Amino acid sequence: MGFLHLFIVNKSGGLILHRPLGQSAPRIGTNEWLRIGSTFHSLHAIAAEASPVKLPGNKNSAGADDGIEEIRGGGLILKCLQTRTGVKFVITAEPGTSDLDAVLREIYVLYSDCALKDPFYELEMPIRCELFTNAIDNLIEKVESGGFKTR
Amino acid sequence: MTVHAFHIFDRKGKTLFTKRYSSAVKNQPVQDVELLSEQRKLIFGMLFSLRELVGSLTPEGESPALQSVKTGAGTLHCYETISGLRIALYTNNNPNMGSTARNLDTSKTSFQNALKHIYSELWVDCVVRSPLYRPGDIQVDGHGNDVGRFDIRSTNFEKKLDAYLASMPWFR
Repeated sequence: MGFLHLFIVNKSGGLILHRPLGQSAPRIGTNEWLRIGSTFHSLHAIAAEASPVKLPGNKNSAGADDGIEEIRGGGLILKCLQTRTGVKFVITAEPGTSDLDAVLREIYVLYSDCALKDPFYELEMPIRCELFTNAIDNLIEKVESGGFKTR
Repeated sequence: MTVHAFHIFDRKGKTLFTKRYSSAVKNQPVQDVELLSEQRKLIFGMLFSLRELVGSLTPEGESPALQSVKTGAGTLHCYETISGLRIALYTNNNPNMGSTARNLDTSKTSFQNALKHIYSELWVDCVVRSPLYRPGDIQVDGHGNDVGRFDIRSTNFEKKLDAYLASMPWFR
């Protein structure tokens, strides 16, 4: 069970959070993170365009724009949750990690509880909220120790 | 599980072979050659950039190869050879995937094995070893018969590819 990174991209493609979640996560500098965030944002949309078959209205079953949901590579699984408002939650992990979808949904819930309900948080700006980052760390710890039950 | 399309690109992004399968794709409004060619360029660009992205996110010690990209509409399976040839296969999303980790791994590796087989047994044997093969000069679309260009149709590749894909349990 090896989580690597979490990053959140706002609806214009700017990075609002990046966080290593485990020991084996490669160290990536801030500039490179910004690059990864905006590259992923564009590739997410291009993947839906390039597909020979498209969903009606280009919206997936959750009402959000269609795009990359999962990428598998040698040594890496990347999962993305795109919300209706255009915010993308992206998590990377080592292969064999289970419950990535449930963890992503839980992080979305934490985002709306900690970051969005904070009266001083400006939308689409980088998240500087200790409550949120602590909650994420606690969640990852709980999942790794096996105490997490999917709703 | 249906196969929608199959493409092979060379290192520079030129399409070497392309084929569309499945009735879902054929029923879409007829697109002209330009549009399809643009779409293929998009696919190649996406594969190229995704490889860089995956490479920077993968932990050290693991090989940064891109295996599959899943969207709501379908899954793109890719295989890249050391010489830079890229094989891309579009299928729809298998509802059985994601059940158990073991099933997941075998179905993913079976796609990788299939693409590897298509390269090493079918492409290399039928196309590269054909005495008419000219790597720089492959004619793809079959429109316009330029003299002196190597035409994939002169080999058995397409027939063997169709037979191989039809023999796979996930082709319909």
